[in-house]
Order: sequence, then structure tokens, then C-alpha cells
Amino acid sequence: MIEISDEEIRRLGDFLYRRTGMVYSLSKRYYIERRIDDRVKATASPSFESYFARLRADVGGEIEKFVNAFTVNETYFNREDHQLRCLTNDLLRERIAVGHGTRRLRLWSVPCATGEEPYSIAMWLLDKWPLVDTYDIEICGSDIDTDALGAARLGIYGKRALMRLPEQVVARYFRRQPGDRWQLIDELKESVRFSPVNLVEAGQTREHGRFDVIFCRNVLIYFDDTSRRIAADNLYESLLPGGFICLGHTESMSRISPLFEVRRFEDGIVYQRPEVGR
Amino acid sequence: MSDVASLRIMVVDDAALVRLYYRSVLEPAGYVVDDALNGLEALEKLTGQEVQLLIVDINMPVMDGLTFLRLLRRRAEPFAATPALVTSTEAGPQDRKAAEMAGANFYACKPVAAEDLLEIASLLAGGVGA
Repeated sequence: MIEISDEEIRRLGDFLYRRTGMVYSLSKRYYIERRIDDRVKATASPSFESYFARLRADVGGEIEKFVNAFTVNETYFNREDHQLRCLTNDLLRERIAVGHGTRRLRLWSVPCATGEEPYSIAMWLLDKWPLVDTYDIEICGSDIDTDALGAARLGIYGKRALMRLPEQVVARYFRRQPGDRWQLIDELKESVRFSPVNLVEAGQTREHGRFDVIFCRNVLIYFDDTSRRIAADNLYESLLPGGFICLGHTESMSRISPLFEVRRFEDGIVYQRPEVGR
Repeated sequence: MSDVASLRIMVVDDAALVRLYYRSVLEPAGYVVDDALNGLEALEKLTGQEVQLLIVDINMPVMDGLTFLRLLRRRAEPFAATPALVTSTEAGPQDRKAAEMAGANFYACKPVAAEDLLEIASLLAGGVGA
């Protein structure tokens, strides 16, 4: 593996932070080194200095590839399914009640990694929500990692990603591929729209419009206080008044931003943009 | 009665999840399900392959469900005579009447539960339970 000094790691960490808001300190040295080593080899750069120059000049779209290398995409279908229960038992009911007569519901999974979460939402609604044919439901999946988005669009998964799905759900929505891989049926893939987004760039989040419910799990933990606050502001602006945001079970929005109201439902704690703006 | 495996149903709806919902109910019952995103696409698809039932939403971009049915009913057999179930969120008698005038054989208010959908399908297309 390539030798990298503390100073070089700091410079790279700073570069990554300014681009994405993600914080990687020296304490994650091994994680950082491995990823830099991969990129140095992939670009056939003779040294760290030469790689860093290439990165800063964005030769061959290296910034995107570098950011992609640093994202964590390990997830599986129906992860934190209590939030899916909360979605169909409580959140959608409230959104419909104040829906102002619209038949449209917009759901956003961000970051969506390789698509497990937005596809889980689609399958959950199909199987558990009796009003699924009554509303025009738009499910969007977004991530900063464009490689992950490519994999999401392809919809091929290993057995591990499917471990929480009931057998009949796998039989209904997946087709077996060689090598113990499973591909989602085209019709399900068509039900989710994927797009790139950087949560600390207001211009990019705004392009996606406003949503009834946002699932934003386990990404704010990679940010420092400043970028976390910026991301929270952008997420707030991405919600319709009265819209909900679900975070990972170890995360708390109250520590990040005063903009949201805390709502306690049977299946979990959810944050809400107040109906009347602050 | 025809073998259900040879019965084709076309779902005409612009919402991907709605198309998938109907498919997920009808396919396990043995029907072959085709779909179209709007009336125009359905008209285009209904030139070669005949279907035994159409499930048609009303509000769709490009061409709505009622315009689609009116145009379909003016076509030559066998397409003009295809049974049609119109599904809608509107429950008023005038909406039902408008659908019938356009050529609907059956009108169902959304949400349409899985068992109701199968019953209507077997009634109009034949097959399961018919």
C-alpha cells in the first residue's frame, strides 16, 4: 500500500470535506489509506502528490470517483422496517388528511446507496398499504455516489441484501440470476427514480422539489456540526409544510436543528416540518 | 371457459406503483398482464395482441382513460369489444355515468382491494372463479 503522511491525509480530508461535508479524521487512517491506495492504483499515479494534483484538476472526472470511493453503501432491504410500518400506519395517513385534495405523494430516500431503501418502500407500499392504487406515489432515490446509483438502477443484489425479505416477496419482485444473485423485476425498478444529490448543496437539493416524507438515515453521522446544520436546512426546505423526515435510530435531529418538531409514533420518532413555517 | 393462462389483461395507468399493484394481484392468479402508461400507448399496443380485459385509470397525461375508451370503441373488432374496467378515485354518479358513456363495462372506485379485483377480472375476462 502507498505511504501517506499525516499531513497528506489532512489535506485530502479537507478536500473531501469541502466537496461533500463528510468528515474523515486521522482516526480513520486505515479506511482512508485503503481508499486512496485504490484510487492511486486505478489512475496509475506514480505518487500521492501526482494523484492529488490529478484530483484537484478533476482529470477524467476524478473528483466523482474519489467521492464514490469514500461513501459507505452497505445496507439491505427492509432495514429499520419499524419506520416502514410508521410510514403506512401514521405518516401517510396524516399527509392524506392535510393533502389539500391532491392525489400525489412524494417520498425521498436520501442517501439511497444501491437502492435497497427506496425499493423496500415500494414493495412495502404494494404489500401493506391498502390505498396504494388510490394515490400517485412518486418514490425518488438520491445519493452523492454515482456508482451506487448505477447499481441501484441495475437492481441486482446478493443474498445478504435480501435476508430480511419474506420469501413470497422475493418470489414476487425478484428474478434469480446466475451466481446466487437476484434482480428486481423491471416494473419495480420503474417505480423508483434515481438522481445524484449532494446534501450540503442547496441548489442540488432544491432541484428535487418538495416531499411528503424523507428517509435520511445514517448520513448525518459522517458530517461535522457545520455541514450537518447545512444539510438539515436543505432537508427542511425539501419538505412540504407538515412533511416528515425519518433518521437512523441512533440519530437525533433535535441536536442538529431547531427547525423540526419531534413526533412520537408507535413505531418510532419522526421529525416534522411544521405546517406553518418558522 | 378459457384456460386462465391464456387470458391477457392490460393495465392502463400512469402511476408505476398502481400498475405494479394490479400486476402483483393478477399474475399470481394466472393472468398474463401487459401495461400501458396512458391511453395513447394502450391504443398503440392494442393493434397486434388481443387482450381479454382492460383496466383503465381516468386521469392520465397524454391521453386520459375516457378518451382512450371512446376511440377504442370506434375501432374494428375484436379490439372495439374488449371489456373494460374503469378505476377512479371519483365516486359521484356523474363520474360513473361518464365512464359508461365512454364505453366502460364496469366502474370501480379506488382503492380496489385484491379480492374485488380478482372477482371483477374473473367476471369480465373469465378464468379464476368464473
